[in-house]
Amino acid sequence: MSTTTDSIAIDRDIGNFFYNVAATRDAGVGLTEQTIDYIVDVKKEPEWLREFRKNAYHVFNSKPLPTHWAGDELKEIDFNVIRYYLASGEAPKRTWEEVPEDIKRTFERLGIPESERKFLAGVEAQFDSEAVYSNVKKAVSDQGVIFMGSTDALKERPDLFRKWFGRVIPTGDNKFSALNSAVFSGGSFIYVPPGVKVKHPLQAYFRINAENFGQFERTLIIADEGSEVMYMEGCTAPKFTTATLHSAVVELVALPGAKIQYITVQNWAPNVFNLVTKRGLAMEEAEIKWIDCNIGSRLTMKYPGVVLKGRKARGEVISIALAGDGQHQDTGAKMIHAADETSSNIVSKSISIGKGRATYRGLVHVPKHLKGCKNNTECDALLINANSRTDTYPAITVRGTGNSTQHEASVSQINAEQIFYMQQRGLSEGQAMSLAVNGFVNDLVSQFPMEYSVELKRLIDLEMEGSVG
Amino acid sequence: MTSTELSSILSGPRQSPAPDWFRELQAKAWEEFEAEPFPARGNELWRFSSVKNLALDDYVAAPVFSGDPLSLARPRQFPEPAGRMIFANESLVRAELFSPALESAGVIFTTLADALEKHSDRLREHFMAQSARLGSAKFAALHKAVVQAGTFLWIPRGVEVRNPFEVFHLVQGDWAAVFPHTLIIAEDNSQVTMLEHFVSSNPDERGLGCAVNDLVLKPGSKLNYIGVQEWSRNFVSIQVNSTVAQKDSAALNLALNFGGKYSRLESVSRMIQSGARSDMLAISVARDEQEFDQRTLQDHQMPDTTSDLLYKNALHDRSRTIFSGLIKVEPGAHRTDAYQKVRNLLLSDDAEANSMPGLEILADDVRCTHGATSGQVEPEELFYLKSRGINDLSAKRLIARGFLNEVVDRLPEERLSEYLHQQIEARL
Amino acid sequence: MSSIVIDDLHVSVADKEIIQGLSLEFSTGEIHAVMGPNGSGKSTLAKVMAGHPDYQVTRGEILMDGVSILEMEPDERSRRGLFMAFQYPMEIPGVSNANFLRAALQARLPEGEELDAIEFYQRLYQKMDLLDIRREFTGRAVNEGFSGGEKKRNEILQLAMLEPTFAVLDETDSGLDIDALKVVAKGVNTICGPGIGILLITHYQRLLNYIVPDFVHVMSEGRIVRSGGKELALELESKGYDWLKARKPETVGAN
Repeated sequence: MSTTTDSIAIDRDIGNFFYNVAATRDAGVGLTEQTIDYIVDVKKEPEWLREFRKNAYHVFNSKPLPTHWAGDELKEIDFNVIRYYLASGEAPKRTWEEVPEDIKRTFERLGIPESERKFLAGVEAQFDSEAVYSNVKKAVSDQGVIFMGSTDALKERPDLFRKWFGRVIPTGDNKFSALNSAVFSGGSFIYVPPGVKVKHPLQAYFRINAENFGQFERTLIIADEGSEVMYMEGCTAPKFTTATLHSAVVELVALPGAKIQYITVQNWAPNVFNLVTKRGLAMEEAEIKWIDCNIGSRLTMKYPGVVLKGRKARGEVISIALAGDGQHQDTGAKMIHAADETSSNIVSKSISIGKGRATYRGLVHVPKHLKGCKNNTECDALLINANSRTDTYPAITVRGTGNSTQHEASVSQINAEQIFYMQQRGLSEGQAMSLAVNGFVNDLVSQFPMEYSVELKRLIDLEMEGSVG
Repeated sequence: MTSTELSSILSGPRQSPAPDWFRELQAKAWEEFEAEPFPARGNELWRFSSVKNLALDDYVAAPVFSGDPLSLARPRQFPEPAGRMIFANESLVRAELFSPALESAGVIFTTLADALEKHSDRLREHFMAQSARLGSAKFAALHKAVVQAGTFLWIPRGVEVRNPFEVFHLVQGDWAAVFPHTLIIAEDNSQVTMLEHFVSSNPDERGLGCAVNDLVLKPGSKLNYIGVQEWSRNFVSIQVNSTVAQKDSAALNLALNFGGKYSRLESVSRMIQSGARSDMLAISVARDEQEFDQRTLQDHQMPDTTSDLLYKNALHDRSRTIFSGLIKVEPGAHRTDAYQKVRNLLLSDDAEANSMPGLEILADDVRCTHGATSGQVEPEELFYLKSRGINDLSAKRLIARGFLNEVVDRLPEERLSEYLHQQIEARL
Repeated sequence: MSSIVIDDLHVSVADKEIIQGLSLEFSTGEIHAVMGPNGSGKSTLAKVMAGHPDYQVTRGEILMDGVSILEMEPDERSRRGLFMAFQYPMEIPGVSNANFLRAALQARLPEGEELDAIEFYQRLYQKMDLLDIRREFTGRAVNEGFSGGEKKRNEILQLAMLEPTFAVLDETDSGLDIDALKVVAKGVNTICGPGIGILLITHYQRLLNYIVPDFVHVMSEGRIVRSGGKELALELESKGYDWLKARKPETVGAN
């Protein structure tokens, strides 16, 4: 099907608005050691962290931009015009009433308090660099579950925080994990005690409000033995004309028998560079599942990974990427097998629209002398227009005779006969395309919690309506 | 490495009288060779490769071949070739055309040196005209600068040659470096098959084989190229293939890799006109500490083109394999059919298989799939064979052989696949 | 005369006991049918006799002419004359049927002796004709891309070529239409005789219309719960399996 459209009106307007909010804490423009000192001082952080951040700053400077991957788009980021810390200087509130009006109306408009009432076990809302709201339902906190901002966790639970912080993703993992390690602020901290199964999802909402700003949250989730938790994150930003940077680091630790599900619906504005490092450590018989949906941003580079450290650990990445005109979704997965009988599964589906580009990049590693390890990878790409682009770049290393891996990828387009059939039954071309695309991702969307899958379908509808003309 | 060290390879006149354009080309290639950096770790095109194997310092020009080179070729010969050429340490030992009808039809089957003299214009248009895109530009430049032993095969319009042409490159002597070259041009609606052998006389001698083969398919032609690489187990082998397929032509390239401690195969198929097709096949049997490093590109430049790649690796002992393949569908190359499959059969706990199957699709209405699997002999398969009385070792061998045979069975010519089955059998 | 004696056999798969004290004897010249509902352990019996590595014998014995085969590798059991026709025959890509059969027959010859190729093909073609198998089949890879019926016929062809002393046919009738079933039955009937003992494992009585057993055993929950003559199969056909489930085993073994 070759429907050529020069300009596609992309409707991501759900987050495209902003109210003026005055920040009293501002690290200024550009990144130097002084920026780091400012952050450490204003956040009243311990000295070890100042050292940690400064070291990371040097690592960041020493690493080249990974342009050989995603391409020269990264050069559009001007690190010298970005503001690295912006906050009101107030502690996160426990009730929405306490949240300052100008900030609260942003989240009201995004529907966060309503969702919290309906189906969430806890919510954290971050506005630029810091959480403005953080609350966990009493029934959940009574079970010993800790859910708070990383900034608070550092102060209140240094024992738990420091034990795992930076252990899953070292500072030098890549240029952007180093950047995050240097200037991180905000993000969630979760600890689930042994055997506790958190029934409802915990949610974080990340909002960028300011122009020329970089958001660098740091999330750490520890699921103790036999526990279970589901975490969801959403994000939006208004559409500014200049590049905005979002560079998070997310570390998950699933102790023996624990299960973590981490769900992301990324809907950043099309000027946001979304360069995120996400990895989990799965101990014996633990399970980590990343469900990752990328709809927004100018460029996303994100390859959620699982290090399968304990016997029979399981890792999974379910990924949906929608690359609209002018977008590049460079996403994928990493599975590092490090124990016997570990298994991993990757399912990736991408849709490229207009001049959009969707890239799958994968790494599967099964080292020496392991037995009974399995990986299965499936990547399917759907091209909507004649000038759409998709790439697949997996790298698979397997040693020894007791393991098996399988990678399959396919590229296809919407069947013109299918569209014709639906049109003959009275659907518009756009509706028919939406149906077909929804059909393409349906098996993955159904793995999302209901509220998210409905939202996702709506976003796809909007996208497809705009893609035919 | 400095040029004085390499001059040992170049000692003596490398080329019989050659036209000026060729001499200039070679001089320029030498400059390119010197300017190009050595492959280094961190270079994506050499990801997973043991680049330490690539030092060139100790190689020398191949000495005069002593003894009887024909006895080395004989057990490997195809029963009924159309023509046969044998090079021993870069010197021509024998050149035969078995059917006078071929000569009268205008078929040219000759050495590179002879072609430079008599068919300079035909050569000039196609001689290494395509750049080596997959990492070995330095070695391709070296080859271009020092090439001596080569074959030129030209099949005129409409001529169909059923029996394969056969070329042997034999090498002898420790640290000998050889640069085998093959250029085949199949004119409109012609058909031809080439079977090329790379053989060391001694299984332990060190050496360098830096080979290039260029296949040019004019509209409607069919060209099969089969390369059997049996260098010694201490060889460093670099083979660079370029296939250019014009309208409605069909290329088939099969590489059988047995020898070398480090063997790099770069194979590029360019489908430059509609209806072109390329089948890219390879079998590698890796033993001991051998490393087979294979890089491929299926470049679809025009609509309605097809490519189908199947590479299979059987890994024993402490061997390693690397496969990096890319299907590239260029903008506008609609209705492309492209397939790519790599399968690794791990037969030892110390073997390592690396797979990087890639896709870059810039057109729509395409059918592209790729797949990579790594695994071992399936226990259920083994049990089935054993339940018929076949012992464990024989059963594993049978399965491994079957695994490789699937590739050879894709050849369109039964006599050829039969012959190759035997050759594989003899080497397993 | 040769015999197989299965005595108080207990078999586990992944720590779950599937066969729980099964005893059965059969000899050359006899056809035995083992029937039973799904999950009764019928197929486990076949696999454990052939020596599948996933099945652990925790107690009991299987003797062939008085010699225990439990410690033997599957290929050794096969060369001693025990054949199993698989319910789901494996596909062996790239290995032709002819090469596979030659390898299996070669494995039965003493060291240094070569299989006579001409004789081999003569015999092979003769058996193929008997089973309505076309000539080009010899060049195709073992079971690859075969229909269900073709796979089962191929199992019987292998049985005919390898000439075992004992053959265990695991649900050979499953997935066959009536015409294919007749062809397979014809093949088995040609092979039957004083030199071979056959154990037919089947869920349905249907197969026994074409291959008439001397003895019928009913399996339930990993044991033989009833044994009798061929009329037992008809009784099962009309009454189903349920009426036997509650009953204690009456006769253990056939003789």
